[in-house]
Amino acid sequence: MKLKTTSEVISLVKNLEELSSKYYQDLIDRYSQEDELFSSFIKENTKNATHIQRTYYSVISDALEGCFAFDLDASNYDLDLELAQDASYDEALEKALQIEETINKFYDQAEEQSRSVMADVPRAFKMVSKKKNKRIACIRDMVNKRQ
Amino acid sequence: MAILSEPITGVEEVKNYIDGEWTDSKGESRDVVNPVNCQVIGTVPVSTRDELDSAVQAAQEAFWEWRTTPPVTRARYLFRLKELLEENFEMLSRVQTQEHGKTIDESRGETRRGIENVEVACGVATLMMGEYLEDIAFGIDEYLVRSPLGVYGIIGPFNFPFMIPLWSAPYAVATGNTVVVKPSSEVPFSQMRLMELVEEAGFPPGVWNVVNGGREVVSGMLDHPGIEGITFVGSTPTAKLICEGCGKTGKRFIAQGGAKNFMVIMPDCDVGSTITAMLTSFFGNSGQRCLSGANLVMVGEDDDFYNMFMDRLVEATSSIIVGYGLDESVQMGPIRDKEKKENILGYIESGIQDGASLRLDGRKPNIKGDYPETCFLNPSIFENVNPNMKIARDEIFGPVMSVLRAKNLDEAIEMSNSSNFGNGNAIFTTSGKNAREFRYRIVSGNVGINVGIVAPMAFFPFSGMKDSFYGIVHTQGKEAIRFFTESKVVIERWF
Repeated sequence: MKLKTTSEVISLVKNLEELSSKYYQDLIDRYSQEDELFSSFIKENTKNATHIQRTYYSVISDALEGCFAFDLDASNYDLDLELAQDASYDEALEKALQIEETINKFYDQAEEQSRSVMADVPRAFKMVSKKKNKRIACIRDMVNKRQ
Repeated sequence: MAILSEPITGVEEVKNYIDGEWTDSKGESRDVVNPVNCQVIGTVPVSTRDELDSAVQAAQEAFWEWRTTPPVTRARYLFRLKELLEENFEMLSRVQTQEHGKTIDESRGETRRGIENVEVACGVATLMMGEYLEDIAFGIDEYLVRSPLGVYGIIGPFNFPFMIPLWSAPYAVATGNTVVVKPSSEVPFSQMRLMELVEEAGFPPGVWNVVNGGREVVSGMLDHPGIEGITFVGSTPTAKLICEGCGKTGKRFIAQGGAKNFMVIMPDCDVGSTITAMLTSFFGNSGQRCLSGANLVMVGEDDDFYNMFMDRLVEATSSIIVGYGLDESVQMGPIRDKEKKENILGYIESGIQDGASLRLDGRKPNIKGDYPETCFLNPSIFENVNPNMKIARDEIFGPVMSVLRAKNLDEAIEMSNSSNFGNGNAIFTTSGKNAREFRYRIVSGNVGINVGIVAPMAFFPFSGMKDSFYGIVHTQGKEAIRFFTESKVVIERWF
């Protein structure tokens, strides 16, 4: 399914951040490891979604290309949140990495395509992408330490 | 993709808001219809002259106390209104989509632009300042103050039911005047929801009134001795009537009319961004904008560039998703009503008869979702249009693009300037020289350089020239402050 309008893309932001939060909550419930870190991820997800929504609502103008700005393939950002009952913590971390990389790919591509639209919006995507990059580095570090 | 929820459920009665009270009209009522599914979502009164008189009287009675309220205090009501508008942003936007048909992105954009005018009007304490000079002669000082005049009439169009009255009303009340707003009867809910928030913001009764209705209310406003001035946005023929009517009765006026906007495409343009801009310009709001692109002028004799650009433009246009604007994936909504659609179809027919080539035929709509075709059209594109054709000269007010060719920029500018309208023309180029030449010579109140919808921000005037505008100062910003006040020059001496 193609995403063409800004409102669809903003809705996807909310959806992705919520799904990611759900996954981290699951990790907290299952493994009781790095609870504080994963809780901070959940909090940050909510902030990311709020920041982008607020930015969109404050700059959306009927005069700019809100309805025609994007051409994203939604299927590129499908998240696989399934974790087997007996999945190890290492497997869970690998999956977290995949989830974050998928979400970050969305932010990068959304930022690229929104550059001709409302300047604040690509900036907001870029800011969140930077945070996601830090998070990816953090999770990768955790994976490497365990190997 | 799920449809966002509709804020208007059932059939709601629109009321007038006069002197701080919601009133039932003694006039007839007419249905308010959602153009997507042709369902009746409400009834709106066709108010009588007496009801207009009551509103003007209430506004007159409220005037002196409001006028003597300090500007900074008046601004605080507007600050409160701004808070309420932000809290209700999504509801206000969905109301616009449900009654007008525009997409949710377009509605949210309209809400934002409307709120921006409230924000600018909040700065009235600075904006309304006058001038002072001591000692124009020994012991004599001279100064200028800006004074409000009384009651103003504000007549809104159907295409921007929320935003356009806010190009005027906040400035009028901020400067100490009182207002009577007449929304379009086709789309009255946006103003009704706004008035609920105006009421909640605590504006004193009589300061901000709404009377719904048709011609009788408009002609009543023109005749009424208690109305000092009128702002109007709509078609050029009606704008002319407003201008003439106000001239006869000595009222001040701002009358914004129609348009026929030229988008001039230079061969050095950024093609990808330009095509996206053309989709918004020509087909955004289903082409129902005074700033919509109408004529696409391809400059130069390079057929390869022309064919490449047109192929990409037609391909992009063909994939526009048409449907109900509360579905976030929809890019273009219906035409406001069946009569307007028939008018557009008439122009498409005339284009064919005159010999233009219908490259993209949008007459048989392809609609996402199970909705009747009644008010829907898909975008249409004509090629081989010459400037004398009806489709190139008349305002169509729909999703129809006419493509013309010009040998060079000079010819493109002359073609654009030959129109009777001068509203929102634009050039797409990467050359500063071309841009300056265009900006300098084009006879157009709003000029775009790589911008397809040249909508001024609230702190700039919404300009217009030729048959697109009658008046001297414009809505929005500092010019609105000038319109809603008159200078009082005082020379002062004390013995």
